Amino acid sequence: MMTLELLAVINIGNVVGAGVTLLVIGLVFVLILSIAYAKLRVEQDPTVEAVLAVLPGANCGGCGLAGCSAYAEAVVADHGLMGKCGPGGEALVKEIAAILGIEAAASAPVRAVVHCGAKSSDKINSTRYGGAMTCGEGQMVAGVMGCPYGCMGFGDCAAACEFDAIEMVDGLATVNYDKCVGCGACVQACPRQLITLERFSEDPLLIISCSSRDKVKEVRSYCKVGCVGCGLCAKLAPNHFQMEQNLAVIDYEKYGRSEEFDKAVEKCPRACMLFVGKKEESLKLEA
Amino acid sequence: MAVSTSEKVKGGFTFRRGVHPPHRKSFSESRAIEQIQLPAGSEVVVPLSQHIGAPCSATVEAKQQVVVGQEVGSSDAFVSAPVHSPVNGTVKEIAPLPHPSGRKVLSVVITVGDEQPEPSIWRELPENCTIDSLENTTSEQIVDTIRQAGIVGQGGAAFPTAVKLVQNQQKPVDTILLNGCECEPYLTSDQRLMIEAAGPMLLGLQLAVKAAGAQKGIIAIEDNKPDAINTVFKLIKDIDNLQLAICRTKYPQGGERQLINAVLGRVVPTGGLPLDVGVVVINAGTASAIAWACIEKRPCYERIVTVTGAGIKNPGNFRVPVGMMLSDLLEHCGGLTDDAEKVLLGGPMMGPAAARLDLPILKGTSGITVLSKAEVVENKEVACIRCGRCVDHCPLNLVPTRIAHAVKARDLETAEDYDLAACIECGCCTYVCPSKIPLIQYLRSGKSMIARKKQQVKSK
Repeated sequence: MMTLELLAVINIGNVVGAGVTLLVIGLVFVLILSIAYAKLRVEQDPTVEAVLAVLPGANCGGCGLAGCSAYAEAVVADHGLMGKCGPGGEALVKEIAAILGIEAAASAPVRAVVHCGAKSSDKINSTRYGGAMTCGEGQMVAGVMGCPYGCMGFGDCAAACEFDAIEMVDGLATVNYDKCVGCGACVQACPRQLITLERFSEDPLLIISCSSRDKVKEVRSYCKVGCVGCGLCAKLAPNHFQMEQNLAVIDYEKYGRSEEFDKAVEKCPRACMLFVGKKEESLKLEA
Repeated sequence: MAVSTSEKVKGGFTFRRGVHPPHRKSFSESRAIEQIQLPAGSEVVVPLSQHIGAPCSATVEAKQQVVVGQEVGSSDAFVSAPVHSPVNGTVKEIAPLPHPSGRKVLSVVITVGDEQPEPSIWRELPENCTIDSLENTTSEQIVDTIRQAGIVGQGGAAFPTAVKLVQNQQKPVDTILLNGCECEPYLTSDQRLMIEAAGPMLLGLQLAVKAAGAQKGIIAIEDNKPDAINTVFKLIKDIDNLQLAICRTKYPQGGERQLINAVLGRVVPTGGLPLDVGVVVINAGTASAIAWACIEKRPCYERIVTVTGAGIKNPGNFRVPVGMMLSDLLEHCGGLTDDAEKVLLGGPMMGPAAARLDLPILKGTSGITVLSKAEVVENKEVACIRCGRCVDHCPLNLVPTRIAHAVKARDLETAEDYDLAACIECGCCTYVCPSKIPLIQYLRSGKSMIARKKQQVKSK
C-alpha cells in the first residue's frame, strides 16, 4: 500500500534529471582535476618515497630534522646522513644503502649517556627538599642536593623518553641500552645538561660519569664517587683523556682500548669511570 | 603646628586581594638594633654581584690593603652598583664563592685587620643638619652620589636606587613613597630603623624627593607598628612636603605595585613600572643609606638585618657589615636551637631556604628567619581541585594555577599568554592553596625557563 502511494508522488523524471546533473558536475570536476594534475604536478623523487617507506615513522626528531619525511629527503640529498636515524639502527642503514644503490659504511649507533654516577647513598651532605618533584623546578632551588651539577633523580628525562629507555634507579637516571635509540629527547629535558649523545664505536663504551667542575675539597664534601679532577688519567693516557675545568673528559674521536687506556681506567682513584652499553661490564678492579 | 593633622596623616589605606598571615614579629620587634663589629682575623666575603643588573668587576687585587668604604668592585653599566669593603683589612683572594642565589659568584674575600675605625654613626643626624644645610645637592649630584655609594633597594629586590631616581622628561615623578610597611611576617628591621633612626631616614626621603624632582614624599607604615607611626609623626610635623599614610596590615602591602595602589589609588600597568604612574618607591633602609651617602659620602657597606624565628637562641636586630658570613651572624645570636629546621634568607613568605651557612649577607638581605621543627610543615602536593583560592588572593589578578599547569607541561607560550612575567613572586597563591601545590616554585621556574629560552635564541 505504502509503496504504491509513494511511487505515485515521486516524479520519475525529476529523479533521472538529478542523477544526470550530478553526473555532469562530476565529469566537469574530473576534467579540472586531471588538467590540474597534469599541469601542477610536483615531481617527487621515487627514491625519497622508497626511503620514507623503510623509515620507522616514529617522527622522534633524533636525526635533528623535523621528522621522518624531512629525514628521507635529506638522506637522499646527502648520503652522509645515513647513520643519523637512531631508532632504525644498523639494519636501516643497510636498507637505505640498498635503495640508494651504494655501499653501506659501517657506522656505530648514537646513544644517550648520563654523566653522573651518584646513587642516593653516594650523595652526602644533601639538604632536605620538599618542593615540586621535577628536575626543572628542583633546579631552581639552591642546594636541592649537595652537588650542584649531578643528577637530582626526579626523572624529567625518564618522562621525556618516548622509548621507555630511562629508569630512575636509586635516585639516578639509568639508560637501558636495549631500548635507547639515541633520539636525544632526554638531552633536551635535563636542566643540568648531564646527558649527551655519544657514538658507541665500541660496546661497552667508557664514559666519565661525573659533571662536577668543582675542586677536590668541594667534590669530596658532597659526593663519594665524583671526579675530583686529579688529572691522573690525562697524565697516564694523554691521547684519550683531557682535563677541562677539574673534570676528566674522554676524547671520543680517538676512542679505543690500549694498554695506557686500560691503565688509566684502572688507576682512577674515584669511581667515576664506567663502562656502559648493552654488554655492561666493569673493568674497575676492586680497591 | 602649621598644617592640620588630617592633611599630614591619613589612614585606612589598603589594596584588593592578598593574605593575612600571622605577624610573628614579637621575637625581635622590641630588641634595639645592635652594631656588629667583626673580630680581627675573621673574613668577609663581598660578592661582586649583589644587585639586579650587570655584575661588577674587581678593582682590587689579592694581598692589597683596603680600608672601610673603599670600592672593591665597579661596573660601567647603567643598571649596576659598585661594592665596597666593610672593614679595614687585606684582600685574601678573588674567587667564585657560594652566593645566596645558589650559583657561585665572583667575590672579594677580605681578612679583617687589627685596627678598625670607630663604628659609624647612624641613629642621629649631625647637629643642624637639614636638607638646606647640605652642599652639593642638586638633583644630578644626589643621583651621582647615590650611584657612587652603591645604594640598592634594601627591601630585597636590590635594584640600583640611582637608576630609579634619574629624572625622565617623558615620565615626571610627583610622589616618592617611603615603604615602611614591612608586611613580611617575622621581619622587624625597617620597624626598628623607623623607631631608632627616623631622622636620617626622613632626610634621605627628602633628598630622594629633590633628586627625582617630585613634589612630596609619603611615608607608608602598616597599622601593626604604632610606635614607628608615633616616632615618624612627631618628626614630620614640621616638614612641609612629607606626609604619613597608615595602611591596614595585609601581605604583600610592601610590594610597590600594591603600595602605590593602596596609598595613591593608582594602578601600575602590567609590564610597566611605578615611573609610568609618576611614583618611585624606596625602602626605609634605602632612604637612610641615601642620607648618609649625601652627608658624608658614606657608601652602602652596612645594613640592618633581623635574625629571628623560634629556631634561633637570641633573636634580634643587627647592623651588619655587608659580606659578613651567615654562620658568623647566627653564632653571634647564640647559634641555632636544637630543633632548628630551616634557615630562610628573608622572611617566610618570600625568603629562599639556605642550603648552606657559608653564605655572605648581601645589601638586599633584610632578615634571616630560622624556623623550628614545629613551624615547618612538609606537605605533599596533590591534584588541583580548581577551588580558585589562588585566583582570589593573587594581588596581581593572575591565574596562578593555570600558569603552573602550563609550566608543568612545559608549555611556556601559554604561561606567557597568562602574564607570567607580571608575577611578583609574593607567594600568596602557595600560602592559600589547599592542595599544597608549590605554585610559586612552578611560576619561578617558568620565568627562568623563558629567560633561558630567550638567551638561547639570542645567542643563536
